[in-house]
Amino acid sequence: MLEVREISVNYGERTVLGNVTLDLRDGEIIGLLGANGAGKTTLIKALNGTLSASKGKVNIDGRSIAGMSRREIAKNIAVVAQENETRFPVTVLEFVLSGRFVHGNAFGWETETDVDFANKALADCDLAGFEMRLMNHLSGGERQRVVLARALAAGAKILLLDEPTANLDLAHQAMMFRLVRRRCEECRCSAIVITHDLNLAAEFADEIIMLKDGRIAAKGAPTEVLTAENIKGVFGVNVLLDENPASGNVRVTSVY
Amino acid sequence: MRDKKNGAIVSVILAALALLTACRSGSVPSVGQVETGTPQESPATRPMRRVTDDLERAFLVPTKITRVISTAPSVTEMIFAAGGGDRLVGVTTFCNYPEEAKSIAKIGDTMTPNIETIIALKPDVVFVSTASQIEAFMKTLEANGIAVYVTDPQSLEGVIHNLDQLGIMFGTDQKTKPLIEDIQYRSMRLSVFTLQRDETPAEYEERVRPVRVFVQISKEPLFSVGKDSFVTEVIARAGGKSVTETVATSYPKLSKETALALQPEVIFLSASDDNREPNEVFKNSPAVKNGRFYRIDADILSRPGPRLVDALEQIAKYLHPEKFK
Amino acid sequence: MAERKAKIRSLSASLRLGGVLLLILVIVLILAAMLGAERLPLFDLNEQQQSILYDIRVPRILLGACVGASLAVAGAGLQSLLRNPLAEPYLLGVSNGAALGTMLAFVFFQSLEITRPLLAFAGAGLATVAVYRMAKSRAGMNVERLVLSGVIVTTFLSSVIVMLTTLLDAAKLRSFTFWLLGDLSQASLNGVYLSLGAVIIGTIILMSQARALNLMMVGERDAFDFGVEVGRVRMLVFGASSLVVGAAVAASGSVGYVGLIVPHLVRLTVGSDNRLVVPFSAIAGAIFVVFADTVARTAIAPRELPVGAVTALIGAPMFIYLLRKN
Repeated sequence: MLEVREISVNYGERTVLGNVTLDLRDGEIIGLLGANGAGKTTLIKALNGTLSASKGKVNIDGRSIAGMSRREIAKNIAVVAQENETRFPVTVLEFVLSGRFVHGNAFGWETETDVDFANKALADCDLAGFEMRLMNHLSGGERQRVVLARALAAGAKILLLDEPTANLDLAHQAMMFRLVRRRCEECRCSAIVITHDLNLAAEFADEIIMLKDGRIAAKGAPTEVLTAENIKGVFGVNVLLDENPASGNVRVTSVY
Repeated sequence: MRDKKNGAIVSVILAALALLTACRSGSVPSVGQVETGTPQESPATRPMRRVTDDLERAFLVPTKITRVISTAPSVTEMIFAAGGGDRLVGVTTFCNYPEEAKSIAKIGDTMTPNIETIIALKPDVVFVSTASQIEAFMKTLEANGIAVYVTDPQSLEGVIHNLDQLGIMFGTDQKTKPLIEDIQYRSMRLSVFTLQRDETPAEYEERVRPVRVFVQISKEPLFSVGKDSFVTEVIARAGGKSVTETVATSYPKLSKETALALQPEVIFLSASDDNREPNEVFKNSPAVKNGRFYRIDADILSRPGPRLVDALEQIAKYLHPEKFK
Repeated sequence: MAERKAKIRSLSASLRLGGVLLLILVIVLILAAMLGAERLPLFDLNEQQQSILYDIRVPRILLGACVGASLAVAGAGLQSLLRNPLAEPYLLGVSNGAALGTMLAFVFFQSLEITRPLLAFAGAGLATVAVYRMAKSRAGMNVERLVLSGVIVTTFLSSVIVMLTTLLDAAKLRSFTFWLLGDLSQASLNGVYLSLGAVIIGTIILMSQARALNLMMVGERDAFDFGVEVGRVRMLVFGASSLVVGAAVAASGSVGYVGLIVPHLVRLTVGSDNRLVVPFSAIAGAIFVVFADTVARTAIAPRELPVGAVTALIGAPMFIYLLRKN
């Protein structure tokens, strides 16, 4: 359970994030939307302590992260960010296992438990059989899935995903969201997903938050938040809204 | 990494240049304009004299030389010894003997003398040693009416010859003649240590029993003298045998293992701060066991000048004390 | 808590490889002891030959092993920390900082030998901090900026060293010029103890950070996100590198290419897991330098080459080949 109360983040004079308040309950998925530069990544970084908030608090199960060590925070929160190139020869399995960092000590080697978590995460991400392949030899999309697998292997209850479907093909985009959804159901985990795909967010998120210029422009259930006005206000784009015939959820169509 | 590569390239170029200069020093450089009389001031007013230097270059110098410059400490010593010290207007930063040399204006160091300073001092003659990189500037100096005399004494005889020439050029015969006689006399006393005519090397060894000598130039890292060094010959003339005489180059860095195996009877330490005692590898050598290690003034050991005979006598006394009782 | 050790990437195979490497090291050490400017018999050494072997050859070989291990381990750590396979003590100016420190110790505190490794460590540390500060920008560490900063610091320190050498007299100049290119001939047992101590401490520190380095190697943000105290790791790795490089340079001058080539080759064989790369680099680095030094002291015997020249002669072509392969 993640509680965020009025946090602000400043870069010098500039306020990049102002007065953001949200609750992330167990088993819940929040879709975080906004134009580029709206402060979405900043928010993610503030939530796991990478950036310190100049005001406000972030609590995990009642405890403030300000008092926690990095290890403790990492035990509770796992992050899926953009994949980038590795200059060293690293295998997929090594990459995913490195996510188990907080579960071992300095001189330790991985245990069976660690390997099990890693293998399961790889299987979930449709990467079984990729263990010994080098990260540099994979496509961008495959690497992105490995990054997700690493976060899943960490076994944290809160997942923060920063545009996890950016490089993925159609099949794997939906797979990604489905995976997160299933994970949240299985172990009562929760997730905040930054995405530009409004429809996927509508399908999978329990709650949607729209950020504009560092502040919350709209917050609530997908049907409430995804309105033509909100979308025009936050993204500056005209859209048509109707119902997705397969799922019954809101469907957003841009007007060109 | 880049520095290493550059360093390697520079070293190769320097090595090539060093080879070329070594080959050149035997040849006769072009005399050029000098013979037809020096330009600049009116040639008619100043009487000139023809001289030949150690590289067999012939050229003209004024009969009355009033201003000279030296680009090597050994040359400075010779000029003073020949009575021309009051005519010296420029010396190198390393010229420290005699005392008076220290207060003369400096023109740089032996390897790279400052040509502008030299010209500004308006000397009649510049005396250089072969170590100076001066070939490039010969033409400039000639154009300014400055004669260049190259000295290259390889032995005691060479030193005597230079002193003689200087006496003639400075008109100081009354000083140089007695000096030369003294050197010749002392050198004769030492001739007992040189290979006589009709004597085989084996007979020489039997008669003289040359002492095995190690010359330590620096303690750590261990540097000695090799076959290209002037010092090797000095040792031989004093009745010794440098144990490193077959090692290539002038100042080789020697393997400590070899040094240990050489077991010298006498060790000479070229006196400097980093060379106060023999290297530890010699601790069981005859030299150290018998206390036969001596500090020698580094300058007189390496300068082919008037104090060379002093060095020879000093070394001979250390090596063969019984012959000097 | 009796969880069995898992088998990842054939851990047992990696350990077997480690055993083989150690064996190679022992063989190289023995061969090096047998070769040199003076021929030594296998048995029945007389007193003089024993002195050659135990007073001169053995300390030198051991020092070479320590220096090789130090530089390789520092290279491995810096490469992972800075996410740059080209990071290396020499290229980043750490070696030059240590060299300058040693020279200043020699000039100002001549006879007090302990000041040399101390000032070398200080010099190495300062150079590291300077490079890091210069490379950092608000957006985080940029790898290209790092290489550039390293080159700036290295060349700046090189010029300072050159200026210092022109102010020295001929005798000191000669001894420093040789030492700066890497010279193991001044090995003494005390020097070996110091160097061995430094490399053991440094390797242990780096191995304790190996898991963290595995994360930092792929991204600083990744490391943060997964629980690594990035600032602390950086300080420990910089500190350990400066320690081992300082000790190595103070004893033997700047031996280049070891920190660059050895970790590279090790990674090609066992992968990038620093828990393996760090200790294997230590052993492989020792082998490399002992080999190079054996060449340095036998090729033109009884004269000697600087060992840094030999490592450069071997390392540079190897480096070009590695670059081509990628």
